[in-house]
Amino acid sequence: MAARRALKAVLVDLSGTLHVEDSAVPGAQEALKRLRGAPVTVRFVTNTTKECKRDLLERLTKLGFDIAENEIFTSLTAARNLLEQKQVRPLLLVDDKALPDFTGIATHDPNAVVVGLAPEHFNYEMMNKAFRLILDGAPLIAIHKARYFKKKNGLALGPGPFVTGLEYATGTEATVVGKPEKTFFLEALRGTDCAPEEAVMIGDDCRDDVGGAQNAGMRGILVRTGKYRPADEDKINPAPYLTCENFPEAVEHILEHLLGERE
Amino acid sequence: MAAWARAARALLLDVSGVLYDSGGDGGVPIAGSAEAVRKIKASSLKLRFCTNETQATREKFVKKLQGLGFDISVDEVTAPAPAACRVLKERNLRPHLLVHNDVVPEFAEIDKANPNCVVIGDAADNFSYANLNEAFRVLIGLENPVLISLGRGRYYKETDGLKLDVGAYMKALEYACDIQAEVVGKPAKMFFESALAELGVQPQQAIMIGDDIVNDVGGAQQCGMRALQVRTGKYRPGDENHPRVKPDAYVNNLAEAVDLILQQLHE
Repeated sequence: MAARRALKAVLVDLSGTLHVEDSAVPGAQEALKRLRGAPVTVRFVTNTTKECKRDLLERLTKLGFDIAENEIFTSLTAARNLLEQKQVRPLLLVDDKALPDFTGIATHDPNAVVVGLAPEHFNYEMMNKAFRLILDGAPLIAIHKARYFKKKNGLALGPGPFVTGLEYATGTEATVVGKPEKTFFLEALRGTDCAPEEAVMIGDDCRDDVGGAQNAGMRGILVRTGKYRPADEDKINPAPYLTCENFPEAVEHILEHLLGERE
Repeated sequence: MAAWARAARALLLDVSGVLYDSGGDGGVPIAGSAEAVRKIKASSLKLRFCTNETQATREKFVKKLQGLGFDISVDEVTAPAPAACRVLKERNLRPHLLVHNDVVPEFAEIDKANPNCVVIGDAADNFSYANLNEAFRVLIGLENPVLISLGRGRYYKETDGLKLDVGAYMKALEYACDIQAEVVGKPAKMFFESALAELGVQPQQAIMIGDDIVNDVGGAQQCGMRALQVRTGKYRPGDENHPRVKPDAYVNNLAEAVDLILQQLHE
């Protein structure tokens, strides 16, 4: 591997890394403050299909984290950026709670389709509408392709099956915008003037956070909080750059070892 | 039409998109198709209708076509629901049905208590999130999930536009459960073979005429039959550049196909 340049940016996952449900990871607020004392850009990156940035920010602020809205980059932001880049008007099959993240995007006479987790939109009529647009050349953008998720009363279908059905019917492939896609991590760095080799990602999901970031050319640090299960670090090859107990330990490592390197 | 058509002893016709375009109002016949069916019946050729339509029982389906002016009867139709019933009985499978309400009577004699498989058909408006989720939960709760699909079509044409077919939802459940469905309608080999058996002809003596490049044309060719694609129904110009399937000939519609074939037979 080529010599690493000094670290310029730190990407931090939210759920499972800074907090677990409604509790902050012990010491995480302090650690974030220490990280901000270093000459690095900090971005918060997360896969979400439901919560808009405003809701995420509100929760984190309540937990005592010092975060600004424009530091948050989510799979919804990635979808929005892609829409702006392609200059298309989407049919939005996303949860109503996610709509604020698409404010200002024109949706009349749609020529693109965005699929998030929106059971109320996954009826035959709406699926047909999406299908016809895609068949006529509209790009299909998937927030992610999860197969199913767990609800209190049992398992429920995620967006993945519906995206797959539309892909099959139209003979096209969706652009998936969330983690672990390479473009997600590259987009998160946009505007930071920082190359992937100058960035590190901290997260609790070995495949989606660490594997995805390393695949994009960054370093990945796995934390043993949130959804972490023993031996998760063996799930990817190459292995995580580092596995730490928690976010504060990851920050200590960065401050001690990653700032001083020079070419 | 090439000389190979002279070997033809029987024609297999797809229905939706070849005889008529379906729709909420019952649909509209495709110009010249009713007359073409009459010409086939007046000729020496045998005839079988091979449909993947699963929005109605065969009785209702045939009645609708008769109302549109077609000379057709129930015992001339090969359809997926009866084929599925045979499979269910043979393997002692009790289905959870995700199908159109109007095709449910085809499964009247099948035990559906405590399901150990899912049968999916073109359920149209029954393809709601709640219904799909219910089918998903049955499958994911089984030790060996069995998904039987009445076809794998991507879409079909109705009078008010193209509609998603059962294949899209079959794929959704396959992806959700990480399984492979068993298809009993077109393009399954067994389906074409049972139609040929009904006709009493060999594959090389039969020509399939359909609007679906993969399920009609590809499926029939896999069986050793010749196959024509009509430029009606769901046909799109892009079909003519299909990477895997090439019909033995293109025709503008059923009327043209029948005239060309009969011409060859009389030469």
